[in-house]
Amino acid sequence: MGNMDPKALRTRVENISNIPTIPSVLKQLSTIIENPKISLNEISHFVSKDPALTTKILQMVNSALYGFPGRISSVNHAVMLLGLNVVKGLLLSVSVFEIMHKAMIGLREHSIGVAIASKVLAQKKGLKEPEEVFVAGLLHDVGKVILTLVYPEDYDRTVKEAEAAGISIFDAERNHFSETHAAVAGWLSEKWHFPKKLCDCIANHHRPQVSTLAPLETAIVHMADILVKARGLGFSGDNLVPEVNSKAWETLGLAEADLREILKELEDSVEQTEEEFRA
Amino acid sequence: MPKIPVEQLKPGMKLARPLQNSSGMVLMAEGTELTEARISKIENMGVDSVFIDGPSRPARPKEELLASLDRRFAKVEGNPDMALIKKAVREHIEAMYG
Repeated sequence: MGNMDPKALRTRVENISNIPTIPSVLKQLSTIIENPKISLNEISHFVSKDPALTTKILQMVNSALYGFPGRISSVNHAVMLLGLNVVKGLLLSVSVFEIMHKAMIGLREHSIGVAIASKVLAQKKGLKEPEEVFVAGLLHDVGKVILTLVYPEDYDRTVKEAEAAGISIFDAERNHFSETHAAVAGWLSEKWHFPKKLCDCIANHHRPQVSTLAPLETAIVHMADILVKARGLGFSGDNLVPEVNSKAWETLGLAEADLREILKELEDSVEQTEEEFRA
Repeated sequence: MPKIPVEQLKPGMKLARPLQNSSGMVLMAEGTELTEARISKIENMGVDSVFIDGPSRPARPKEELLASLDRRFAKVEGNPDMALIKKAVREHIEAMYG
């Protein structure tokens, strides 16, 4: 088929809650995070109704990645320490993780890897909020999950087409849907009232040069994606390393020694977190 | 940092990560050196495996990892920035095998 009407695609994606096959937890969650006036209490209430979700959120914030292992005991406490936006992003990612694993084997590992590499890069570049870049890394490929949920058969075919033609999943998506997972996730993250910088990172991680709100953060997620693919951790739809954007490369100014340092930290953390998030 | 099954722990090994119970309480600190007594304590906690200091060797042979690295970079060989990234990853992989 190919060349779906982008407007129809966008409408269908934005009304994801109306699609019967969407898991109910994601529907409820999207209603919660869609509300720009959501309060800390409402988030806590929603999460506390679901013990499995509570456990997963606390597990994630208490993992060594955040630097305060074993000290956050409640969702309230997490929101205070990390901020509402980071917790919203984490909530979405833990819910999406389960679906992610079914949608594309290896995408969860890829996403965790990109989150870790993004955080390490953010720290290296002296960013004040490395957790926010971590969340951007965690969610950068959420559009792939959305596409598999909304168009399961088409997406399956797209992955097979990419493999058969030896092209990237990004190009195969564009051939098939006229738009890509990055755009899809961008639309939804705006609808979900994610922070503007986070939307920018997610929507532009394949073309960091157009980012206006968060050029450095977007360059970081772009680079993290490339490094994780280069190392071959997880699977994100193809086995090809995309070319680094020259402007992003210049912005980051990484030497070979920096790259090796990041890879080393990535390797150590991935080994540990894969266990933690598997439960 | 390899994850070692409890039955393969030996005195003298050091914990690479703190040992925590399910609610996150630290039971043994990072860097703790294992003794026979501590190993049996860990066994009694019902823990399956723990992180131990030191490099962990990948399960797959080095040649296989390097060959798939070449395949992943096949389309971007001409780009000097990508060549640098590939070099760093190759050295990183080689270092994992010591």
